[in-house]
Amino acid sequence: MATSFKFKPLTISILLLFLYNAIASSASGSSSTTMHTNNWAILVCTSRFWFNYRHMANTLSLYRTVKRLGIPDERIILMLADDMACNARNKYPAQVFNNENHLLNLYGDNVEVDYRGYEVTVENFLRILTGRHERAVPRSKRLLSDEGSHILLYMTGHGGDEFLKFQDSEELQSHDLADAVKQMKEKRRFKELLIMVDTCQAATLFSQLQSPGVLAIGSSKKGENSYSHHLDSDVGVSVVDRFTFYTLAFFESLNMYDNASLSSLFTSYNPNTLMSTAYYRTDLYQRRLEEVPVTNFFGSVMETIHTDSPYRAFSNRYYRKSKTEMPSDQSGGGNRRALKDLDILEELADPKLNVRPLQSTYLLVHEG
Amino acid sequence: MTEVSAVVKPKPRPIIRIGLFLISHSLFVSIVCCIAGVLALLLLPVLAKNTYISENALMPGSASAMLSTDDASDGHVFVNKIMSISSMSINSGIEIPEMIAKHIIESGGEVNYHKFQPLSDSFHPLQFFVGPDAGMVQDNYSSTSYGVNTVGIVRAPRGDGKEAIIIVTPYNSVKPTTSEALSLGVAYSVFTLLSRVSWLAKDIIWLAADSRHGEHAAVAAWLRDYYTLSSGDLEHEVTSVKRDGVSNGFRRAGTMAAALVIKVADSSTGFEKDGLKIYAEASNGQMPNLDLINIVNYLAVHGQGLQVRVEKIWSLLDSWWLYSLGELQELIGKVAKSLNPGWKFGIPASDYVEGCTTLASSLYNQALGIPTGPHGAFRDYQVDAITLEFSPRFSSSQRVLFLLHVGRLVEGVIRSVNNLLEKFHQSFFLYLMTSPSRFVSVGTYMIAFALLIAPLPLVAAALFSDASKSKSPGESIPTSPAWNWLYTAKTVLIVHLWGAIVTIIPYFLRQFPDSSPLISLLTWIASSAVLLFFTRAASSSLPFSCASQLQTSEWTLLKAVTVAAAFIGLCLMSVINYATAEIGALLLVPMCLMAVPLRIDATAKTAKTVARGACNVLLVFVGFPPAAFLLSKGALSSFDGVRLDDFWNWIESLREWNSATYIYICMVHLPCWVLLALAVVAAKGVALFSNIQTREQMEAQVHVASQKAESHINDVNALITGMERLGLELFGDEGLEVPSLDKGKRIENVFGDPIPDAINVRPPDTVHTKGSGSRKVSRKEAVIRQMHKPLRRCKKCRELVRHDSRNCGKEKEKNKSK
Repeated sequence: MATSFKFKPLTISILLLFLYNAIASSASGSSSTTMHTNNWAILVCTSRFWFNYRHMANTLSLYRTVKRLGIPDERIILMLADDMACNARNKYPAQVFNNENHLLNLYGDNVEVDYRGYEVTVENFLRILTGRHERAVPRSKRLLSDEGSHILLYMTGHGGDEFLKFQDSEELQSHDLADAVKQMKEKRRFKELLIMVDTCQAATLFSQLQSPGVLAIGSSKKGENSYSHHLDSDVGVSVVDRFTFYTLAFFESLNMYDNASLSSLFTSYNPNTLMSTAYYRTDLYQRRLEEVPVTNFFGSVMETIHTDSPYRAFSNRYYRKSKTEMPSDQSGGGNRRALKDLDILEELADPKLNVRPLQSTYLLVHEG
Repeated sequence: MTEVSAVVKPKPRPIIRIGLFLISHSLFVSIVCCIAGVLALLLLPVLAKNTYISENALMPGSASAMLSTDDASDGHVFVNKIMSISSMSINSGIEIPEMIAKHIIESGGEVNYHKFQPLSDSFHPLQFFVGPDAGMVQDNYSSTSYGVNTVGIVRAPRGDGKEAIIIVTPYNSVKPTTSEALSLGVAYSVFTLLSRVSWLAKDIIWLAADSRHGEHAAVAAWLRDYYTLSSGDLEHEVTSVKRDGVSNGFRRAGTMAAALVIKVADSSTGFEKDGLKIYAEASNGQMPNLDLINIVNYLAVHGQGLQVRVEKIWSLLDSWWLYSLGELQELIGKVAKSLNPGWKFGIPASDYVEGCTTLASSLYNQALGIPTGPHGAFRDYQVDAITLEFSPRFSSSQRVLFLLHVGRLVEGVIRSVNNLLEKFHQSFFLYLMTSPSRFVSVGTYMIAFALLIAPLPLVAAALFSDASKSKSPGESIPTSPAWNWLYTAKTVLIVHLWGAIVTIIPYFLRQFPDSSPLISLLTWIASSAVLLFFTRAASSSLPFSCASQLQTSEWTLLKAVTVAAAFIGLCLMSVINYATAEIGALLLVPMCLMAVPLRIDATAKTAKTVARGACNVLLVFVGFPPAAFLLSKGALSSFDGVRLDDFWNWIESLREWNSATYIYICMVHLPCWVLLALAVVAAKGVALFSNIQTREQMEAQVHVASQKAESHINDVNALITGMERLGLELFGDEGLEVPSLDKGKRIENVFGDPIPDAINVRPPDTVHTKGSGSRKVSRKEAVIRQMHKPLRRCKKCRELVRHDSRNCGKEKEKNKSK
């Protein structure tokens, strides 16, 4: 506390101006009008044991997809409860496949697993969501989201009526999840949250959710099982679940510039091929699904605001030539993304358009 | 409110009333229970459930078989090599192990020889309680006829080396038959495949067991050495003679997850498909986990298209009564289905007969307590193991195809067990098979047994209460039945002790090795009878009524105690070995229920008593163990081949395998049979255990004691009347009656205050403490609030700022001072 009083007047005034800008852009500071600032993904595989190979494959496939669509590794928290790649029963050591054709090794280079093995517990999961970590936990293992974040929470494992089994020993109940999401909302840790769950009776996990801005989709309704897609007779286990398989099939046809909407994803699930009914809960979500591109959650695409200079707000001066990228430290209040594209920059180089949102152009921004 | 009742005596609790009711109707209840028990046993094939793979981790058949035709033809070459060695004239029994060892090393496995000598069989009556004895390792290999097991090990490339799967192929190392060579070929082709694959999580041990001294002995000897650190073990490790890379030291590989014994039958099946017969029974009716049988059955039927069978009693297959029973239950099933389509029971009559024969075989093999193959040795160490006996369709041609099929099956089973994460634990351990894919679990078959023995305690209690009621009229001294009960119990105990001695007699008879089975048996029976006589003499001090005065009450007491002893014995046995207890109950229970002295029947010469007497004689005859054995043997095959010495051989084998059934027969069945037979045939016989003189002394003692009691009888009476009066004073007429107030009243009584109708006292309103409702504004909020205020021009510095002229410049000082 003592240090906080030692602000130089200059620092204070910078802070004030920052805040002033943030408030000006977001009116009252409520999340509905907060800018979409960044994307996070939490991908959780909750089950151990070799015969649950497919759950790890599911999670790793989704990891690969969101990474391909533009969420960087430091904004993905990957939790894998067991290590199938190094299991002695794996015919292909250090490789994980989600398809019989073995064309794609999901466990190749650059897979950053944040929580592995027995670190994947209900406690750790809730700590990640609510941000209440012990002090020693490194930043790479924390969800450092803000009130403008879009978060994708993907979970797979064995579930039942209003619970999801972790590690064959604990359970995450729908109350726990709803409570954690509520805390997140109160702490302004997200703007929009998409929860995607691939377990048996997945829909029951959402029944207690109350926080606004949450969109939930599950692989099966209450009383239904979710099934695996196919068996790899070479590896000797099922390698992917149906819901995840068709989700991945949907995304494989997309790249980060596509504008497919969430509703097109949600309607792509066919109950006959899924052998269960995909359920989605939209009553807590304000926007219309037709208008929300999937890359809002699965990629890192957001509306961008052009500023020429991070210093303009303070000095009221206008550097026409500057194309500085703002460092993407989200500790400041309002994040501004600088555009790399010179043409658009020129077009938008109008001082009045300081906070004008781009209506139709979605641009991918790699952060950090 | 309170009921005025004349009877002050409280009603006993319902369970006691039910018990009393059952005891008073014990005859009816016992007949119903017995019939229901036998019916339930006959219904077991109908109640059998389909097997299912319970353990998720197993995933049989999910991986495609990797065993190729090349591997199978390698195996065939291997078979031919063995046969060529076998056909050589000079064979010391070391050539084949050496050849196997050479091949194992070539395929990349580790190998060692295990020399063993068959243990001289010794009787360990309590082995089934303590497990195999670790201390009986013999180290003298002085004898020339030791066997040589060849042990090959494939280490799992990325496994932790803590678990292993065992393949066992018993063969005769001196003169292997073609079928033994084939089983070795199967094991070899699988072993070479497994030494190449990358998915092993458990080590693989191939035990080529030398069956010169018996298959079981070879496997048991290896297991004993595997689980004990023998004294020579460490020396061997240091000074092991390396010869062609073969170590003489004992090689180990972790805990055993499962073991498969692979055998090939000599005869061809005669079926269209290759056959597979599964043997699972280990010692004392222990079974491997049902999941192991399930995966073998699943893979054999769905993967390789083999015809899977379990053992059945063939002679029962075409018995008319079983078939008519089957048709009856089929008919009932159909009728029930026509009444309500939801009721689905009843199976086709042929299926029923098949199920019955398989069930009977399963029951018999478990009851024997003798393992049905080398897999029994594993069960002694709590390792799940089964024997797979393959019978090829053709005797010689298409061997490669046969090797391919069988090899793929074995590979599939091993891969499935390899997926296992823990020991087999998920599925049943207590079950009876009715077909390879149907089973009766413990919860179902225990019902039959429970119904069968349920009458025993009832009958015992009923007899006891009869005996205590009927005072013998000739007695002048009132004797308490409790006393007599104790003396009868002593008699029963002594007879059971005699049973224990009978158990040990064959051990001494073995000291005369040259005697024929028949002589041994007769000696055994004769010595037992003599001992029984001596027991009588030894127990002459037993106070018991004399023959002349043996009254109804005494034989009923004797019967009651015997029945209770039989009940306890059967219950104990059902825990150790269900099947033995079930068969024993079938023999003992009718005898326990029927036994009435012939003399009593003879006095009242009605048709009923004559029939009862005849039944008694028949039951006593059938209940005698040798008679029961020979009768069942005759009924199942034919009476021509039945000889008396078969029984001795049978008993000998039970004894050698340390079967608990032997102990049951000698220590539970035989004493109970003797007591009941004595009660039936010679009611006087009971008196053999008594002595007149001691009885008279006893009577005098009892007399003195009762006189003493009588002298104080007035005091006792006074005490009782005083207590009754006190009770009346305290509680009045309704002394012990339970007040039947309603719940509200009872609560009021406890709290001593009536429940108010209107509630006036309410909890206080919420209290506002000082300062509540306002909170400290955070620094951030303060700043935000400040920003909404318009800037003022300071008169001093003439700028649009947030201070006035008085404070102008003070803020800087404040910051500086900090």
